[in-house]
Amino acid sequence: MNAFEYRVPRALDEALTVLREYGEDARVVAGGTALVTMMRQQLVRPGCLVSLRDVQGLDRIEAVNGALRLGALVTHREAEVSLLVRERLPVLAETFRRVATIRIRHMATVGGALAHADPNQDPPVTLLALGARVEIRGAGGRRELSLGEFFRDYYETALVPGELVTAVTVPLLSASSGATFLKFLPRSADDYATVAVAATVALEPDGERCREARIALGSVGVTPLRARVAEALLSGQRLGESVLRAVGEAAKGEVDPLSDHRGSAEYKREMTAVMVGRALTQAWEAARRSARGTL
Amino acid sequence: MGGGAALGARHPLTFTQECVIPVEPERLWDFMMEVPKVAGCVPGVETVEAVDASAYRGSFKVHVGPIRLALQGTVTVEEQDRGAWRARMRAEANDRRVGGGIRARMSLTLAPTQGGTRLHIETDLVVLGKIGEFGQPIIKKKADSLLAEFARNLQSALATGVKC
Amino acid sequence: MTRVIRLTVNGTSHDVEVPTYRTLLDCLRYDLGLTGSKEGCGVGVCGACTVLLDGKMISSCIALAVFADGRAVTTVEGLAEDERLHPVQQAFVDSGGFQCGICTPGQVVSAKALLDAIPNPSDAETREWMLGNLCRCTGYYKIIESIRAAAQRSRP
Repeated sequence: MNAFEYRVPRALDEALTVLREYGEDARVVAGGTALVTMMRQQLVRPGCLVSLRDVQGLDRIEAVNGALRLGALVTHREAEVSLLVRERLPVLAETFRRVATIRIRHMATVGGALAHADPNQDPPVTLLALGARVEIRGAGGRRELSLGEFFRDYYETALVPGELVTAVTVPLLSASSGATFLKFLPRSADDYATVAVAATVALEPDGERCREARIALGSVGVTPLRARVAEALLSGQRLGESVLRAVGEAAKGEVDPLSDHRGSAEYKREMTAVMVGRALTQAWEAARRSARGTL
Repeated sequence: MGGGAALGARHPLTFTQECVIPVEPERLWDFMMEVPKVAGCVPGVETVEAVDASAYRGSFKVHVGPIRLALQGTVTVEEQDRGAWRARMRAEANDRRVGGGIRARMSLTLAPTQGGTRLHIETDLVVLGKIGEFGQPIIKKKADSLLAEFARNLQSALATGVKC
Repeated sequence: MTRVIRLTVNGTSHDVEVPTYRTLLDCLRYDLGLTGSKEGCGVGVCGACTVLLDGKMISSCIALAVFADGRAVTTVEGLAEDERLHPVQQAFVDSGGFQCGICTPGQVVSAKALLDAIPNPSDAETREWMLGNLCRCTGYYKIIESIRAAAQRSRP
């Protein structure tokens, strides 16, 4: 690794000042699992590393107005085991649990995961399906973006130099809804997904037809993405073979996977349809149980 | 980042870019054969200087998120056939800090068409070393988007007569 | 650019001056002479470098030493008390939980953390906890057996 300055601000404002001081030469680090790995490979060479380790107030998990708010420094492990998350949004706790190994999850943070913006990561997929919003702080003040607006390209977000993620707010599921996260990984259990799907289904008052569905996909594009054409096909529909087939085909058309050692682009495309079908079936079942009050 | 990518034979990545530039082949050709001028249309090119009649030295910056490459190298025009509207170039560049580089062969063909000239660029790109180990597919996406932007810059440079 | 950091390692406080780029693993091995933790993959995947940071398992090869400033680190060297092996270590010896030994420090540290968190884990819980500790020799059966034996022994 190159020689670099290392600063450990004790408060958010101090962190923002240091970032302003170093400009593009600074990189923010929290758990460091992604960043230090890249630095060890000489791929990233910051002049200054600004550690958020001691910044107070960014590690809370709280219920806020029908949503869960996770501070940027909440670790994956904390999100995974949090009683609040497991109770209110079990699909989210389950998603964090699927990431890599416990060792990684002890260090890697929610904010860091979002800022890293690798489309192969798990949490952004579920967060995207749940309609999460990112809180950002910078010299210009505070702003909020939907995840769709936040992710721009491979490893690239809407963050401008000097900004950092401070929290993510995740709406709870509406009544008569179910959500599922499926991670298809034919290789080792600690790997990134070959295809990941997070699906939510909200039912009409009749408890049978779909009012609204969301399908978020990971590892099949340069960012995690919503399959909006596929989602629209579910409006007003009952769960059935032909609907799922049509939705799967539509989802295939909305992805643009890269061939890599986890699968060829064609394989990932095929598996998109399969996994979307399975995820929707599970989410629908969960929504039915929720509608019947038997969840 | 789940483990390193497999090492092994480096197959060239191939890209094809095609666009129609609304000028006659002659004008497009003359513009493109002035390497410093056309290099200005490549996003990320910082310096270009002639070494001799057919070789140029230059520097080029490109980034994928936090990964920033500063490539230094040479471009050699290997073949220029104005009669057939065909040219071939070879580029070699290295990033000494990251430890890797690129080797590219480009062939350009021009063809008169409705509305101007069809420019066809075929690129064979080999990525060596560290850069190559990290994400061949990302490199392909990036190179694709760079070439697309190059074609757009070229079009607007020729349309407006303004340098890239 | 160096920094003086204070690490409590296996109960002993050390003030070490390290370059900012020093990994925690390198600091433990080269600055403090604790060579029990190994570098296997260098990317945090294989688990050979596992140490406990404030009681939590981490990959020390992708943690900077400066991250551990003011914190407590437990390495494999800190498991035995005086001349007595930790029950997990003894169980690995008695059950044949290692062959070449290169992954063993990581296995043992992770297993100790498991039994601290879940004193009587099921095999499924053990597998899930230990999935990030790779072994090229044993096929993992003896490792699971060793952990089971350690759990049984530790039961009052």
